[in-house]
Amino acid sequence: MPDPNRVVGGTLVLLGILSLWEGRRLYALRTEMVAGAVVGDDTFPLIVGVAMLLLGASILFVARLPQVKVARPYGEPRMRMILGAGVLAAYWVILPYLGYTGSTALASTGLFRAMGGYRWPLALLFGGVTTGLLYLLFRVWLLQPLPTGLLGL
Amino acid sequence: MDVLSHLASGFAAALTPTNLLMALLGSLLGTLVGVLPGLGPTAAIAILFPLTTVLPPVPAIIMLAGIYYGAMYGGSTTAILLNIPGEVASVPTCLDGYPMAQQGRGGVALGISAIGSFFAGTLGVVALTFFAPFLADQALRFGPPEYFGLMVLAFTVIASLSGGSLVKGFAMAFLGYFISLVGLGPSTAEPRFTFNWGPLMSGVDLIALIVGLYAISEVFIGLEEARVAITQKIRNVFPRLADLRAAFPAILRGTGIGFFLGLLPGCAPGVTVFMAYDAEKKLSKHPERFGKGAIEGVASPESANNATSSAGFIPLLALGIPASAPLAVLLGGLLVYGLQPGPLLFQKNPDFVWTVIASLYVGNVILLILNLPLIGMWVWLTRIPYGILGPVILLLAFIGAYSVRNSLFDVGVSLVCGAMGFFLRRHQWPLAPLLLAFILGPLLEKYLIQSLSMSGGSLLIFFQRGISLALIVGAALLLLTSLALVRYTSRRVKEETAEELAL
Repeated sequence: MPDPNRVVGGTLVLLGILSLWEGRRLYALRTEMVAGAVVGDDTFPLIVGVAMLLLGASILFVARLPQVKVARPYGEPRMRMILGAGVLAAYWVILPYLGYTGSTALASTGLFRAMGGYRWPLALLFGGVTTGLLYLLFRVWLLQPLPTGLLGL
Repeated sequence: MDVLSHLASGFAAALTPTNLLMALLGSLLGTLVGVLPGLGPTAAIAILFPLTTVLPPVPAIIMLAGIYYGAMYGGSTTAILLNIPGEVASVPTCLDGYPMAQQGRGGVALGISAIGSFFAGTLGVVALTFFAPFLADQALRFGPPEYFGLMVLAFTVIASLSGGSLVKGFAMAFLGYFISLVGLGPSTAEPRFTFNWGPLMSGVDLIALIVGLYAISEVFIGLEEARVAITQKIRNVFPRLADLRAAFPAILRGTGIGFFLGLLPGCAPGVTVFMAYDAEKKLSKHPERFGKGAIEGVASPESANNATSSAGFIPLLALGIPASAPLAVLLGGLLVYGLQPGPLLFQKNPDFVWTVIASLYVGNVILLILNLPLIGMWVWLTRIPYGILGPVILLLAFIGAYSVRNSLFDVGVSLVCGAMGFFLRRHQWPLAPLLLAFILGPLLEKYLIQSLSMSGGSLLIFFQRGISLALIVGAALLLLTSLALVRYTSRRVKEETAEELAL
């Protein structure tokens, strides 16, 4: 696994370059649109870009940041994390199609099964109860408009 | 109207059934989440934040403040009974609280902690009542350069929120700035960093960011850790007279240290609790008792913790400067409701401010009533398996992120921020500077641009006006003070826990 400090440093450098590039575009736009303005929407992207570039470069090449030893998750916890993240991502994808009720019932059952390790009947029961309670909380009590999906549920 | 009549009208509003219910609900929910091992006040507010967004501003902020206080109170339960501090501010409480619990005096430790917290919290709010309006009275003298100076002062907080490394803190802060730039530019409304993609035009939503960074990442970090439940029975939480007599001077000293240091922007409870604990140990005739179950060792840091938390409301409400991560989330809450904390808040929204201040008194009383008799129930709640708790928190976070703007894009943002938060937290990159810069970045930009437009681009404007110069010099001095305090706290945390600092 790559050094996390280098990952952050590299990301900062890339974002710094992006920020400078965007600042330059906005600077050209400002000088074209607003005659005589000394500062504008480009000022901060340029400042932030320079700072990120310097910080990123310093993390990559100069600063000796303390190395944090973090054990990679393994075994069951790792599987629960991967499955949990997968269910959450799937929930995001299916929500507009299945609507709140159907997708939350599926996602909550999946999460209880994946993260809690409960057997299917119990996971289904917990999923159903949680879906109902969240429905009562968000739609009935807080009057939130939740997605209804293709079936209007 | 003077302070007392303002406060009286605040109480009249805070004691309406709706606001009272919100204070009660916030305190209950905050204590519930705070008492769960490993979840601190920041995560508690992040998880419950979306639930408040459908409420009007006053009850919503009352509920958020209740959650904040409740989570602070709840955090001491796991520190004392399980030796698990939810945040660094609870570490000193573990040192004597846990040995007391092992000696069968866990109930007394919890009782003293609740009484000390109530006392310190209430005194802190009294000071807030009289001190914050004085600070806010300077409002009329503030123009864009002064506000810019104030923002610079606010950014000294980054030093104390950076954990062990300033480079890491500033790197995270600039990442936060960068994220805050996405959307429409403040001067010409020209899209920035949107790449012609519609959803990015309205920028990154604060709640989606908070939910992802703190709530979603928290659940996945929790999956890695072995969770434990409190199994011991708590019988008596009411301390004896001898306990009270021993603890009272410590409560007073802890309150003093916590409050006065808490007034400094950037002095988080994580710093003051160690100072209070060390001062108590040095003043004690029997320092050898510390670490073995001395009641003063619980009373002093718990009082300092709550005094600092209350004192933190003064720079937050009067200057718009959050001293800690949970207060940064609360600042975000105020902004979401269209309220700009700072000198003008007291003048533009006096009803709001005084209702919130009055509700802090009410919240402290509610928490004392809840904590002493209901401690058994809180302890029982720690037995809920993480396999149930984790999915419920994730679903709440998911729907909460959606419900703010009814946007699936925001949910996507919260999922991405969850992954980012998980990676950064595991490798001890501090998230609080990122959040602070994300919240304050747009204000800093606004005041910088306004000031430079006034001066024709000359930076000298910040040094030619008395208040802005004083604020910038104050910021430099505070930065140095913060660095010294962080170094001290970092060393103490390492001594006690063999871990790096994460304030």
